[in-house]
Amino acid sequence: MRLSKKEISILIEIVFSILFTLIFLPYFYKNQDTTFFLSDLIGKGTEIIIFVVIYFSIAYTLLEISYKNKITEDERDDMINSKSYKLGYLLYELSLFVFIGILINSSINQNGEIIFLILLLLLIVSVIKSIYQFYLHRTF
Amino acid sequence: MVLKNNLKEFRQKKGFTQEELGKNVDVSRQTIISIERYRYKPSLELAMKIAEKLNVKIEKLFYFD
Repeated sequence: MRLSKKEISILIEIVFSILFTLIFLPYFYKNQDTTFFLSDLIGKGTEIIIFVVIYFSIAYTLLEISYKNKITEDERDDMINSKSYKLGYLLYELSLFVFIGILINSSINQNGEIIFLILLLLLIVSVIKSIYQFYLHRTF
Repeated sequence: MVLKNNLKEFRQKKGFTQEELGKNVDVSRQTIISIERYRYKPSLELAMKIAEKLNVKIEKLFYFD
């Protein structure tokens, strides 16, 4: 299976979401009973930012070395993007309703649970959107 | 009715690779592959660009089956 540069860049995003889930989500899962203050989140936020910068720098450098040609964005890419972002938008709307529903039906006292829930929903939506985008690139 | 095309045939007659034709009409190789496999229906603008590049009438290149 020969993948195009565009498809590889989508896979990089999917792998990032998976790595983020494996590395950072357990911390927020374990600390659901915690009330976070801004000072608590600065350390974790810095870790996340450093990870994001290092990950994408390495991934895109390797991609540029492996694929010398520039990514040509054309009308097919626009159509695939519009389809996948539409799905992403609908899922974000749905996840917002789920989030509000959980907030109403449970007695959440700590913001740790809210942070975990938001991150989880964002990651799920992001992964589904990227997988759908990848699927369209392969089949359309 | 399905919109089909003779793109592969005309492209090969003109001696273009998918990559070369794509570059000539400002689209990726994947887009040319998708059109040839009837997966993607190009816009009128792109269809006309391809027809012009291959020096063939658009109705000969694209047809309903």
